[in-house]
Amino acid sequence: MPQILVCFKWVLDEQDIKIRPEDLSLDTSRAKGKISDFDRNALEAAAQLVEAQGGRVDALTFGGPAVKNALKDVLSRGADQVLWIADPLAERADARVTAQVLAAAIRKHGPYDLILCGEGSSDAFNQQLPVRLAALLGLPCVSFAQALTVAGDRLRATRKLGDCVEEVETALPAVASVLSEMNKPRIPTLKQVLGAAKKPNQEVKLAELGLTPGQLEPRAVRVGAKGFVMNRKNILFKEPDAAANVARLAASLAAEGMC
Amino acid sequence: MAGIFVYSEDLALAGQLLTPALDLKRSLGQPVVALTADAASAAALAALGPDRVLVLEAGPASPEALAPALADLLQREGAQVVLVGGTLRGKHVAAHLAAVLDAGLASDAKALAPAEGGLGVQRILYGGLAVSEEVLAYPAVVTVQARTFLPPPPSAAEVAIAPQAVLADARVQVTRVEQAAREGVDIAASQRLVAVGRGFRTREDLDLAAGLAGALQADLACTRGIAEDEHWLPIERYIGISGQTVKPELYVAAGLSGQVQHLVGCREAKVIVAINSDERAPIFEAADYGIVGDLYQVLPLLTAALAR
Repeated sequence: MPQILVCFKWVLDEQDIKIRPEDLSLDTSRAKGKISDFDRNALEAAAQLVEAQGGRVDALTFGGPAVKNALKDVLSRGADQVLWIADPLAERADARVTAQVLAAAIRKHGPYDLILCGEGSSDAFNQQLPVRLAALLGLPCVSFAQALTVAGDRLRATRKLGDCVEEVETALPAVASVLSEMNKPRIPTLKQVLGAAKKPNQEVKLAELGLTPGQLEPRAVRVGAKGFVMNRKNILFKEPDAAANVARLAASLAAEGMC
Repeated sequence: MAGIFVYSEDLALAGQLLTPALDLKRSLGQPVVALTADAASAAALAALGPDRVLVLEAGPASPEALAPALADLLQREGAQVVLVGGTLRGKHVAAHLAAVLDAGLASDAKALAPAEGGLGVQRILYGGLAVSEEVLAYPAVVTVQARTFLPPPPSAAEVAIAPQAVLADARVQVTRVEQAAREGVDIAASQRLVAVGRGFRTREDLDLAAGLAGALQADLACTRGIAEDEHWLPIERYIGISGQTVKPELYVAAGLSGQVQHLVGCREAKVIVAINSDERAPIFEAADYGIVGDLYQVLPLLTAALAR
C-alpha cells in the first residue's frame, strides 16, 4: 500500500490583497492564508488513491510562522499526518531553497512511494517545485498529470500537454504534479474537521535538516512587486435601453475597425 | 566558458526566444547557442542569427527525457543564461535544468534585462494581480511563453550547425500518445474571441455567444468554471492562469465577472469588450467598452447589429 506525501504551500489569499492607488504597492495586511488552490487538487488526489486502495498520506509544508494555521485544514482534507517547517526564512525563499528544504525533510522523514504536488502555487505560480524536488531526490518525475493510478510498484499517469495526451509509466518511488482539472477538492465535512483535531502534526526544525547557508540563499530574489494596472478606455454603456447601448457599442467597434 | 542558450521543442517559439537572447548578447557579450532535438529545424534556427546551433541526437525521446542530458551539456558549456520555451514540456525541462545547475528560475518572464546582481525579469504574481520584479543570479534559467517576443529578422551570417550525441532518460516511459482533438481551432492563435462565463444559465444558452461569434467571425472561449466545472466547452478553450493565454485583436467577455486569474490570460488583447449585468464586476475595469445589461437581451441585439 503506497505511502504518499503531498507537498503544499500556505499562501496569502489573493482576493484579500489590495493595491494602494498612490504607489501601486500591495497591501497584504488584511489577507488571510489558504492552502494554495492547486495543492488542494494534490491532496484530493492522494485522498482518493488511499480511499480506493489503502495506504497513507503525509503532508509536508515549508512556510513562515503563519504556516501553523494550515495544519487543521490540511488534516481535514485527508492527510493522516502533517509535517511542518516554520521559519521566517521561507518568506524570501525561492523554489530552489524550498526544494532543498523539502528534499532534506523527505530524506529525514521518508521514504515515500509517491510524492504529489499541485501544478503550481497560487501566489508565484512558478511551476517548478515538483521537478526540482525529483531532481534533488534522484527520482523520476511525471508532471502535469490529469489522472494517476498506482499498481504495485508502478505509477501510471495520463499527462495532459498542450498538443497531446500522453499515457506514461514509471517505477515508484516517483514525484508527480497534478493538474487542477483532475478532481474537485472536497469541502471537508464536519466529521473530517473534527477528526483533524485528533491527527498528529509534527514540527520539523529547519536547523535540524543539515542545510548549508548557501543552500538557503535564494538565487531568484524579488526586488519589487507592483499592482498590475489595466490601461483601458473603460467606456460604459448603461442606459436602460439595451438597443441604444448596443448601437453605441457597434459604432465604437466600427470606429476601432473591428466590424 | 559562457553563453546564452535557447531551447524549445516548438520551433516557432525557439525562434522567438532568439530575440531576447540576441538582446542579452549585446549587453553580456556572450555567444548565443540554439539547441534543438530536431535536425530538420536546425537550418531555420540558424537563419535567425545565433552563433551556433547544436543538434541533440538522442533518437526519439520526449523533451523531458532529454532534460538530464541537456543539463550536463549546459554545465559543461558554462551556460550563463538559459531561455526555455514556456510550454508545459518546456517548464518541466527548465525546472530540471535549474535544479541541476543549482540556479534560480523565473517562469513566464515578460521582460529580461541585465540588472544589479544578475538577470532582471518581470513576471506575474498572485494570479495576475501584481507584477513582480526579480533578479536571478547567474547562471539563470527563464521560461518565456509563446508570442511574448517576435522572432528576430533573418540573418545572412554563416552559422555552424553541429551534432551533439546525448542519452535520453528512460525512467518515465511513454506508453501511448493521443493527439489532442483540436476541432480545427487553436484559440491561442485566434484574432477574435467571444468568452463566456457563469452568466449563462444553461449549456444551450451558449448558442447566444456562438451567434455573436459567428457575426464577428470569432472563436468561442470561456472561463475555467465553464470548462472544468460545467464541462460545457473543452478545457482547451479556457482562458486563464492555468489555461490559455491569448493576445487577440478583439476579446468580447460575456457573462463573466473578470476574476484576476481569468484576466491574466486575456489582458494583452488589443480591444476588450464586456457585457455583464453587474456594473461593479471587475471585468469592466479591464474593458475598453462595456454594456451593463442582461446578456440574454444584449447578445441577440448585438449579433443582429453586427450581422447587418
